[in-house]
Amino acid sequence: MELELRFFATFRDAVGEKERVETFDDGSTVGDVLAALEDRYEGLEGQLLTDEDDRVTIRSQLSVLKNGRDVTHMEGPETELDGGDRLSVFPPVAGGGERPE
Amino acid sequence: MSDLRLDATQLDRYSRHVIMDEIGPEGQQRLLDASVLVVGAGGLGSPAIQYLAAAGVGRLGIVDDDVVERSNLQRQIVHGDDDVGRPKVESAADYVTALNPDIDVEPHETRITAANVADLVDEYDVVLDASDNFATRYLLNDHCVLTGTALSHGAIYRFEGQVTFFTNERSSKAADEDADAPPCYRCIFPEAPEPGTVPDCATTGVLGVLPGTVGCIQATEVVKYILGKGEVLEGRLLMYDAMDMTFETVDVLANPSCPVCSDDPEIESVEDVAYEGSCQISAD
Repeated sequence: MELELRFFATFRDAVGEKERVETFDDGSTVGDVLAALEDRYEGLEGQLLTDEDDRVTIRSQLSVLKNGRDVTHMEGPETELDGGDRLSVFPPVAGGGERPE
Repeated sequence: MSDLRLDATQLDRYSRHVIMDEIGPEGQQRLLDASVLVVGAGGLGSPAIQYLAAAGVGRLGIVDDDVVERSNLQRQIVHGDDDVGRPKVESAADYVTALNPDIDVEPHETRITAANVADLVDEYDVVLDASDNFATRYLLNDHCVLTGTALSHGAIYRFEGQVTFFTNERSSKAADEDADAPPCYRCIFPEAPEPGTVPDCATTGVLGVLPGTVGCIQATEVVKYILGKGEVLEGRLLMYDAMDMTFETVDVLANPSCPVCSDDPEIESVEDVAYEGSCQISAD
């Protein structure tokens, strides 16, 4: 199935593009897709998922939205996806001024 | 209705507000009676301070512990070349006084900490977060949630900006009962990135005009909130991309188990949290 992927801020830098359509196995969950992205993009390795007590979870510092809704309020990494879904991945951003060295 | 006290000079100064039905003399009086604390007199704070002062927000607090550097001037437009080396709060206060002597401007040359956040924030109706670091962002969020203080959020990264608004009205939360309850900052970003993993403006650079756009949107939301008009960006995160010139909003929802804004919060005081590193609840 094809998914529309959107990357923001540092993740956009890692992928090199703002928006990509990529193909994943039918029935893939959010966790499956994030794991595949970590494999596909060197800059994303270790940035999206983490192992806690042998359970794969989405790193708590990032937001993953399925069609505009945060998946942590759905089934987390187990959230199911369908072809055509839009997955947005973005980190918190702190910048506002400039802290002197 | 507020007690109308606009004098002839004020009616002239604010005439473009006063003639609009949505604002009128009553709305202008609300702005004059309002107080806003701007945390950070940098890239985001500069345009926010300018427009809030011009709009006639009667009492404007400005918090910053930095001094003006020449490299700030590419975007921190409340400061001028002659201000290099001066405390940012002094430079910003001078700007406000020159622009609008109607405004009581209150410079606070300090960094907000868990120890002083109540003394600073509780004197104001609304907080505008124009800070440059996660510790301050999480601290302001937690204190504003716990005290029910409205908080305007803006952040920038190179050519991108994020803006949202938290009214922190408890009645609008109750996430357990309302699947569409609006979030706090911790609901959207539960944990701060590890220090050093998200580069700052000094490392990555930032388009100078970018914080101008984002700070102006933050000021717009604060003015609307004070007026009680329009739809503020609550429950929506606005993503601005200056390179593509696109604005997108994504719906964001409360986390029913949020450690600070849920019905049964783990964080009952900012003293419970270590505001460095991941900004999580202290182990001890």
